[in-house]
Amino acid sequence: MDPARTPLGRMLLDEITPVVMVLRTPLVEEACGKNGLSFVEMLSPFCSFSNIDVPVRTASDQPYRLQKFKLRLFYSSDIRQPDVQVANERLKDVITQAGEKDLSNLSSELPQVDELLSSSESDIMPSWFQFFNKELIRTMSFSDHEAFDHPVACLLVVSSKDEQPINRFVDLFNSDQLPSLLNDGAMDPKILKLYLIVHDNQDGAPEKAKKFHNEMRSTFGSNSSQLLCINSSQGGLVEHLQNPWAPFKTDASPTQRLGGFLNIDDFNEIKKLTQDLASKHVIPYMEEKVRVLNQQVSATRKGFKNQIKNLWWRKGKEDTPDASNGPVYTFSSIESQIRVLGDYAFMLRDYELALSNYRLISTDYKLDKAWKRYAGVQEMMGLTFFMLDQSRKEAEYCMENAFNTYLKTGPTGQQNATRSGLWWVEMLKTRDQFKEAAGVYFRISGEEPLHSAVMLEQASYCYLLSKPPMLRKFGFHLILSGNQYKKSDQIKHAIRTYRRSISVLKGTTWSYIQDHVHFHIGQWYSFLGLYDSAVSHLLEVLSCGHQSKTTQEFFLKIFLQTVQKTGKACQVMRLPLPVINSSSLKVVFEDHRTYASPAATGVRESLWQSLEEEIVPSLPAARANWLEVQSNFTSKPNKNSNMCIVGEAIKVAIEFQNPLQISIPLSDVSLMCELCARSDDADSEANSLTAELQNDEATMLTTDRFLNSDMSSFALSNVELTLEGGGRKMVQLTVTPRVEGTLKIVGVKWKFSSSVVGFHNFVTGSVKKIQKGGKKNKQSPADSLKFDVVKTVPRLEGFIQSLPEKVYAGELQQLTLELNNKSHLSVKNLKMKISHPRYLNIGNQRNLNMDYPACLEKKTNSAEKTILEPHTINAPRNVFLFPEDTVVQGDTSFLWPLWLHAAAPGKVSLYIILYYEIENPESFMKYRTLRMLYNLEIFPSLDVSFQISACPSTLEEFLVRMDIANKTSTRNFQIHQLSSIGYQWEISLLQPTDSIYASPTLMSGQAFSCYLILKKSKRLDRAEANGSPVCSLTVSDIQLSTEGAGGKMYDSSLSPVKDFHNVERLQHGKSLEGDSNMVDFVLIYWPLDSETDPGVSDRPSLFSHHECHCSVASTSPISWVVEGPRLIHHDFSTSFCEVTLKMALYNSADAAASVRINTLDLSRNGDAQSRDESTLASGKQAGWYNVSLDSEIKVTSDVSGIQMKPLSSDSASPFVWTGSSSTKVRLPPLSTLGIPLQICVFSPGTYDLSNYILQWSLVLPDDQGNHGETRPSSGTCQGYSYFLTVLQST
Amino acid sequence: MIVCVAVVGHQNNPLYIQSFTEADDALKLHHIVHCSLDVIDERVNNPKKSGPLLNETFLGLLYPTENYKVYGYLTNTKVKFILVTTDLDVKDADVRNFFRRFHAAYGDAVSNPFHVPGKKITSRTFAESVSTIVKAFGLSSAG
Repeated sequence: MDPARTPLGRMLLDEITPVVMVLRTPLVEEACGKNGLSFVEMLSPFCSFSNIDVPVRTASDQPYRLQKFKLRLFYSSDIRQPDVQVANERLKDVITQAGEKDLSNLSSELPQVDELLSSSESDIMPSWFQFFNKELIRTMSFSDHEAFDHPVACLLVVSSKDEQPINRFVDLFNSDQLPSLLNDGAMDPKILKLYLIVHDNQDGAPEKAKKFHNEMRSTFGSNSSQLLCINSSQGGLVEHLQNPWAPFKTDASPTQRLGGFLNIDDFNEIKKLTQDLASKHVIPYMEEKVRVLNQQVSATRKGFKNQIKNLWWRKGKEDTPDASNGPVYTFSSIESQIRVLGDYAFMLRDYELALSNYRLISTDYKLDKAWKRYAGVQEMMGLTFFMLDQSRKEAEYCMENAFNTYLKTGPTGQQNATRSGLWWVEMLKTRDQFKEAAGVYFRISGEEPLHSAVMLEQASYCYLLSKPPMLRKFGFHLILSGNQYKKSDQIKHAIRTYRRSISVLKGTTWSYIQDHVHFHIGQWYSFLGLYDSAVSHLLEVLSCGHQSKTTQEFFLKIFLQTVQKTGKACQVMRLPLPVINSSSLKVVFEDHRTYASPAATGVRESLWQSLEEEIVPSLPAARANWLEVQSNFTSKPNKNSNMCIVGEAIKVAIEFQNPLQISIPLSDVSLMCELCARSDDADSEANSLTAELQNDEATMLTTDRFLNSDMSSFALSNVELTLEGGGRKMVQLTVTPRVEGTLKIVGVKWKFSSSVVGFHNFVTGSVKKIQKGGKKNKQSPADSLKFDVVKTVPRLEGFIQSLPEKVYAGELQQLTLELNNKSHLSVKNLKMKISHPRYLNIGNQRNLNMDYPACLEKKTNSAEKTILEPHTINAPRNVFLFPEDTVVQGDTSFLWPLWLHAAAPGKVSLYIILYYEIENPESFMKYRTLRMLYNLEIFPSLDVSFQISACPSTLEEFLVRMDIANKTSTRNFQIHQLSSIGYQWEISLLQPTDSIYASPTLMSGQAFSCYLILKKSKRLDRAEANGSPVCSLTVSDIQLSTEGAGGKMYDSSLSPVKDFHNVERLQHGKSLEGDSNMVDFVLIYWPLDSETDPGVSDRPSLFSHHECHCSVASTSPISWVVEGPRLIHHDFSTSFCEVTLKMALYNSADAAASVRINTLDLSRNGDAQSRDESTLASGKQAGWYNVSLDSEIKVTSDVSGIQMKPLSSDSASPFVWTGSSSTKVRLPPLSTLGIPLQICVFSPGTYDLSNYILQWSLVLPDDQGNHGETRPSSGTCQGYSYFLTVLQST
Repeated sequence: MIVCVAVVGHQNNPLYIQSFTEADDALKLHHIVHCSLDVIDERVNNPKKSGPLLNETFLGLLYPTENYKVYGYLTNTKVKFILVTTDLDVKDADVRNFFRRFHAAYGDAVSNPFHVPGKKITSRTFAESVSTIVKAFGLSSAG
């Protein structure tokens, strides 16, 4: 690429051009002023030539042609180093103006990162950077250490109106007015002089001017004298298309007409003048000068000899103590001349020559330690390298060298360093080394905030443009730059840079940086008074949970201040405080399903449905056939949306979350809803939709909307709360429609710190729908928030009075269910179902006013056994139907007793469903259900266990061991009564009550055991005689306590106890069908001390413990007992003693049994016994058992008495069984039979009559095949020990 | 002295930034760490510059800012560790050693079953072990 066409090349061709110094009289200015221009301004547009085509020769006579050329015109007063203050002011003006221009863009949308990356450099960079850089470079002009700003020629201008123009020309070039450069000897005062006389055509014909011109020609020479006639247009109304002066006149107001008096002739004249000036005077002069200087330089410095001499000479000068800037070089010194030669050559595009001279002089300056000059030459070397487009490395090295050297020279060099830096940057940019360019920008940013702001911003764009783009550095430098802009009060620029940096940070999680950026933008906007923009940015920092608490408070304070400044109620669509947990949204509405408590709404719908199944008329049952339209049942106008009822609130629960550590106050939290009222006429429904949009922006603001909300078609609840730091809260909101129609819940709104209104739309977030009864099809979230509001129907409210939350196990309490009907319509056909009848049962209307627990006491004092009638033990009713005539009238309440029995420890949820039908047949709904949920926690109280074992001494009697342990930690219980319930079972104490169980009080943690006897009721016979069925349950009670209750007994067969007992029986699995071998126990007790735990019911109550299905059956259905004398006196001298015994057999099985008794004459050996035991153990082995037969054979063989000897070794004297050695009887079921037995005793002693075996087998009817297979159908039993003592009678 | 250590996730999201200075310069350090990601990206994308070793996790001196030196380390899950120090002459070996220990601590922290990958590291144990490592670094470089 041609270096001249690069930005830097163009800049150099623009800036490093010959300077023409202009000296003029005031009258000249006056003439030009008519056009609104100064003389220099008038000429400037014509001083740059694109095709001047001047032939030039290099120093070595190489011809070439200059095409583009430019002259810079300056008044002599301007040819001096600009004042730093003024220059800075000027630069500041430039920036401020640019900022003003940008203001319109401040609120516009910012490009995204991708857009920035895809757009070209010129699109990204603000255009005023170039202008600024040019201005910045210009502030460094006319330095004495470089020659390209030194005037090449001097143009003296005199007006034709001036008196004695010739003398004026001489006066003008008076050294007093000349710039210091010429006066202090930095440059050659012998300068090319050109003389120009300006004539204003409005002052008359140019004859006088021409006369003067001729005079001048004779005085100054014809070549250097010129005449310029201007203002040829009389009217001053010349319009210039593309006014050439506009770009040069920055502060021109648009109404000012520039060059109004200059017509086309003037144009051409000016053009001709400047072209002459350049081509005929300046360029040839410079060419000549280059030639002359080159010869001089060659003569003094070129060649080996000169170099040595020069070196030696400079070495010698080294000792001279000198200023930091090295020696002063006047124009006549060879160093200055070389520099001038280089600069002239550069300006004439003879870069080779320029470079060689720069090289030459740079070493000299270096040796002289003239650092500023050295840096200047290095700078020019770099540029020359660039223009030659060779040796990039060297060019960069030179630039860096120049930059660093300038910096070394102290504060004055800073500005020069900036200039060389800018050139360096341009050079790097041309070569696409943006990253390095950014580094240079960073280095030239300097101390002064405004300056560094601009440089940093330019650096940031370099990072953006570098390949690959360094976006984070781009953002960082923008922020740095914005910070500097802010320091220098350029807020608009600061906002611009910060806003750009947002595009980099957007979508990242660098929240500290984001907060910083947004917060400052917000603050700055509010400085500028753009409060809306300020608020929108401050919103971004509100949910700054990661910041420290003080920062959060600060952010919040500023935000609220800004909001106040806006002066109006601020509404924000997405206020980030508090955070709304959209997934927590729960909508609870009641159609035919109503809920008694909020807890009941939280239960799974399927659970309710499974409970409801039996009581709610199912849809298919309601219609006769499938052709009938379903809407007969419930006419739903729109099946896609949910139903709700006028006057009944829809509850919406949503979680608010505070991400901050400080608590935030919220007020006016309410729902936003729309309700479209529907006219009654269903046909014209579509036409008469009167939409009432209440979330209209206008109505939203008016606070009185809440006050006269009875005018609106729905009522909203209003919640006020304070969210603690880091806290989250479920907020319950309700909307109550007042008219029929379609209600839509749009969102939620709240007022934050009583100044900012925030909205949140539900539809945008995801909605979790919990109450979706019946309809399985998925609905869109919007649909689930849409409701059909239908006409009012009665609604029952129900609760259970004084239901405790915590009870001890066993507690029996009377409760009351209260139902209230708030509407004027009555409801009927009440049904109820309870999920756990074990814990909660429905009482009888009679119970309502009864005195509990006295009502349970036995009416008669007799200890008569009560028989539970069999029909009372039908299965517990699943669904309780209230009496037919039960109607809950409007505005009345209805009471019904309930019984609570804390059956088992643990936590239990009681679900209660109440069904009712609406009397009004025209109603939308035929029925509704009320769902109630109660949670009960049951603590363990008494641990009761029973063990039943057969009593060996008596037939049909059993020993019952009752173990009671008090498991509570604080409560003491008084055991009152034990009842047994079973088939003809009767319980009794082993000993009288008062002897042992004087005080069966169980302290906490105490355990207690007692033995009881369970025996068959004697009424068995009577019952059989009456012919009543066997399956009747008998209740027998014993009082275990003598204290309390005045010795009263409670009747376990009365309603609540009986009902719960039945449920308990069911609960334990077995069928209700009685088994005569089973017995149930009911233990009744009550707490003693009044010291109660909080939360636990302290009402007077009974405790009952039900132990069901305790088996009394022993291993064998056959039991027997041997009855007879125990002590006999006999005179053995007369005869042996015969003893008659009686064996009583009892068959407890329900089948006839065949029993065989074998008497043995020998006591068994251990072997036989063990075998017998094994037989017993595996009693299932049916039939006669071989072993016993063997032993029988053995026994018969032993009859001969051979075995007397082993027996005699025993202490007992022998005895023999007499009578039949084997008896077989048939025992009918449940019957007793006596068998006579006889033994003969031969000598006095004590005998164990246990050596007999009883074998039994049940004769099962065929149809009962394997019924009761758990029990053996046959077995063999060893006889019980029966000790008989026979004494010799005296 | 180590001024700041940071863990940055593979999507260049900050996982852990801890400064060890008294001054309130959290924002500055955030900026420094954020910017150094550009340099890491550059190093990773131009492996020629970063050295001969292909599997080298230590990225070396990322860039010297005015007062700080920034070192980087890239794990094979593209998690970056960044160390900002005010020490002017730091031995590479020390920094390598530091990063190796830091990497181990990080591994322990993310092995916690309650740590959600890609979320900020909130483990107190990690913070403690990091501060131990940082203190140890100061000792080794001083001594």
